[in-house]
Amino acid sequence: MSKVIEVPEVLDHKGFEELVATLGGQPDEAGSRLLFNAKHVRWVSPYGLIGLLAAGQVSRDRTGLSPRIEAPDNRDVRSYLDRMEFWPAAHEVFDIEPGSAPSHGASDALLEITPIRSHHDVHAVVEKVRERSASILEKRLHYPKPSVIQFSVMLSEVCQNIIEHADADGWVCAQTYNYRERLGREVLMLAVMDVGMGFEGSLGSEHARRYGESWSAAMALEAALLYGESRFRDPGRGQGLQAIRKQVEKWDGMLAIRSGDAQIALVPDWDDYPSMQRGLAAFPGAQILIVMPARTEEER
Amino acid sequence: MSGESTPAIAVASLYQPNLVTRQTGRAVRDGIERLMSERGDTIAVIDFRDVAVIDFSCADEVVAKLVMGPEGGTGDSVPRFVLVRGIREHHLDPVEGALRRRGLAVSAERIGGEPVLLGEVEPEAVAAWRMLSACGRIHTGELARRLGLDTGSCASLLAGLLRRRLVRRDGDAFESLSFSASAVRRSSDRAPRANG
Repeated sequence: MSKVIEVPEVLDHKGFEELVATLGGQPDEAGSRLLFNAKHVRWVSPYGLIGLLAAGQVSRDRTGLSPRIEAPDNRDVRSYLDRMEFWPAAHEVFDIEPGSAPSHGASDALLEITPIRSHHDVHAVVEKVRERSASILEKRLHYPKPSVIQFSVMLSEVCQNIIEHADADGWVCAQTYNYRERLGREVLMLAVMDVGMGFEGSLGSEHARRYGESWSAAMALEAALLYGESRFRDPGRGQGLQAIRKQVEKWDGMLAIRSGDAQIALVPDWDDYPSMQRGLAAFPGAQILIVMPARTEEER
Repeated sequence: MSGESTPAIAVASLYQPNLVTRQTGRAVRDGIERLMSERGDTIAVIDFRDVAVIDFSCADEVVAKLVMGPEGGTGDSVPRFVLVRGIREHHLDPVEGALRRRGLAVSAERIGGEPVLLGEVEPEAVAAWRMLSACGRIHTGELARRLGLDTGSCASLLAGLLRRRLVRRDGDAFESLSFSASAVRRSSDRAPRANG
């Protein structure tokens, strides 16, 4: 019999934290299959969507068994999952009966869920987004023309973070939606996740000795995001994250990076996200969220 | 290390529109270095005209590491120069960012041919480089006169630019890389393609 993990009704970044805490509360028992019950999910963000995949992957790594998943009942959520091509990615993580996952319909997403396994995937993602982002960034979010290329560069760097540092596969997706709750405008949300070694592990070999026992996920995140440090001694490394940070700041966007038991964020005036959180439920890898708000008339 | 020899030039047109990822950058750089090594070329001209997107990682691999040299320094026996052509506004951030992070600089031309120095260079040296680029080829004394400097100071600036491979020396005169590359004695259009 499977142990049931209840997926929160609202599966955004907060919902993801609840999911991680629930998963962390489960004893690691090899051979004990989990069931992710997503029946009651009524809203899901791009971050929550790939967060569900990441949680499934962690469960699979811990138990040695692919977890099962109960699809959401809510029609809109089901439709969204189809359009974001959740099910093809879920097939590689969850134990899904053949034919039980719906086929995906026409997508209006900037970038459907795309696994990142090699630099070929990064090329494919950049190519795909370059074609689509012109209409979304320029026409819907009112960004200037060069932003299409700047967004492609940012996307490439954030995806490469998985290949260069995670030592594991990951996922990326991006979608626009109306961020009524916080901002009252449309935003572009970009989510990138992996369940690999995380920042603490990645930077640890090079930096942990210097910090001794105080070395932590929070310190690793600060070292990478604020000081451009990397696990490589080469001074040319570590600039991708710095470039992302500068670009997000320029766009008055929000950037949050979660790794291990900590999360660091660059928080614009319009958000009240904490700039650093420690002591979160531990979760492997890195989970990155970027939110770019539509430009107001004054900003255009 | 001053080159009085005839420069041999490898022109690398980067046909791939998306120059992204370190792996791609490494493949492009390896192709250029192989060509230069096989043919004994001394100037690598990298043509960015067809490049739509270049990210910071790829710029580091292609431009910064090529400028740095195969050993990560300037100890190679044959002096090697790099000229970047066809630079557009959206290439600037990644290419400059990659160079500055390593304290490097490269001679470049904008898409319309206007010379531009990218990376980290002191303002006095930039002024000397600009004047030299405008003249194409010039002797130290003449450059000093145009810049309003004494010959010793000007010679020191030129020595610094030469050490960083931002200009070439031909006998008693100094040349911009654009001048050297346009006076091609032996050129062939080779196109290392990224395998990414």
